[in-house]
Amino acid sequence: MAAISDSGVRQIEAGATPTRFARGWHCLGLTRDLGDGKPHTINAFGMRLVVFRSGDGKLNVLDGYCRHLGGDLSQGQVKGNEIACPFHDWRWGGDGKCKSIPYSRRVPKLARTKAWPTLEQDGMLFVWNDPEGNPPPESVTIPRIEGATSDGWTDWHWYTTVVHTNCREIIDNVVDMAHFFYIHGSMPTYFKNIFEGHVATQYMTSGSRADLPVPEGAPKLLGTTSDASYWGPSFMIDDLVYHYEHEDQQTILLNCHYPIDANSFVLQYGIIVKKSENLPEDLAMQTAIALGDFVKLGFEQDVTIWKNKTRIDNPLLCEEDGPVYQLRRWYEQFYVDVADVTPEMVDRFEFEIDVTRPREAWQQQVEENIARRAAGTGTPG
Amino acid sequence: MTVRPDNRLLDAPLAPVVCGRCRAVVEVRKSSWAQTSVQWNAEAMAACAQRRQAMDLVDHGRGLFLSCSELRDSIDDAVRRGKVVIVDERDVQDHCG
Repeated sequence: MAAISDSGVRQIEAGATPTRFARGWHCLGLTRDLGDGKPHTINAFGMRLVVFRSGDGKLNVLDGYCRHLGGDLSQGQVKGNEIACPFHDWRWGGDGKCKSIPYSRRVPKLARTKAWPTLEQDGMLFVWNDPEGNPPPESVTIPRIEGATSDGWTDWHWYTTVVHTNCREIIDNVVDMAHFFYIHGSMPTYFKNIFEGHVATQYMTSGSRADLPVPEGAPKLLGTTSDASYWGPSFMIDDLVYHYEHEDQQTILLNCHYPIDANSFVLQYGIIVKKSENLPEDLAMQTAIALGDFVKLGFEQDVTIWKNKTRIDNPLLCEEDGPVYQLRRWYEQFYVDVADVTPEMVDRFEFEIDVTRPREAWQQQVEENIARRAAGTGTPG
Repeated sequence: MTVRPDNRLLDAPLAPVVCGRCRAVVEVRKSSWAQTSVQWNAEAMAACAQRRQAMDLVDHGRGLFLSCSELRDSIDDAVRRGKVVIVDERDVQDHCG
């Protein structure tokens, strides 16, 4: 597979998107939305799922199609501890077993549908996806987020959207320092990745962009410190601190997704903000919403790129790029059987970027943008 | 879905470095003084005292073990002794020679 043709032109190579879905915990959304006692439709992992809170208080996730004649359970009703199919009222329990058929004397043998292992934690519902059908190991559980259940922090500000591309694109962002400048208006000043086991980390500090407009009334931002890790294939927790002139602002930014199919995924993010003397109840929540709007803008900027870019398996990297290949090697562990996970997929790998040259180039770009704007001769580049 | 090799490694591969503290052997590549790639293996991960200490502290929680300072010193030393070649500097030499 030569990437260079006879004419010296480098060819873009891309295999098909994977036919299986990643093994791991996936966040389906907030329990305050999904756990209201009504059935909810979730299209995930190439299937239709039904999510419902049963009478016993448990949140359940089942294959959405009734094994009787294929009715859509998510259009049905919760009756006691079961979900009732809208077609013939067959009752399915959270364990996947058919508990009763009101018009029949008995339930047929093997009346069982797929039930997904679930985890309710910190206001979110997670499902365990495993193409091999094994239960979730304790060692890969989603860590607790202290602020999520604390009065000292706001509630989740949550956002959900559908993105029409394979979810590897969003994973690539973990190592992509330069796009934070060009796409998101950041000014990276330090950038390091660490992959180890099922965790992939991006540690980044950023300065401020003097060439970009500051929202009216907003305090002066000096920079940010971001310690962000994917815990498995789809759930990233970012300890994100905004450094303002007068104080630091602690936030948690979640960035998570679940695949709908090979070519689309549901992208979700959640934000909580730590309250402080300067940032009591309402003001903290307003801050979470304002930051949310900012993050939403960021994801929309990503989506515009993803919509128009091509899938590429052989990216051509310069020395100031992050470890794209090693990240994909890490990500591959979730797409193979557990027995086929190789040491290099999980062995610790560290990559620290030399930011000297990027910082010089970007500082110059910022100064040019300011000069251009002052001269009124065009929009920033 | 086979993951391909990093095009940058074709120019300059990883080189082994032994940690002066715990004797862990890792593979290192440096494209400049400030850029470092470190590939660990299971043996090295088990041997590193700083990593073990950090893992004990976090115990299933979230915590970041950014780097081992003693390993970093050993890498810097390996560069000074010419065991690890900095890609930028090698390229400069190539151009001059």
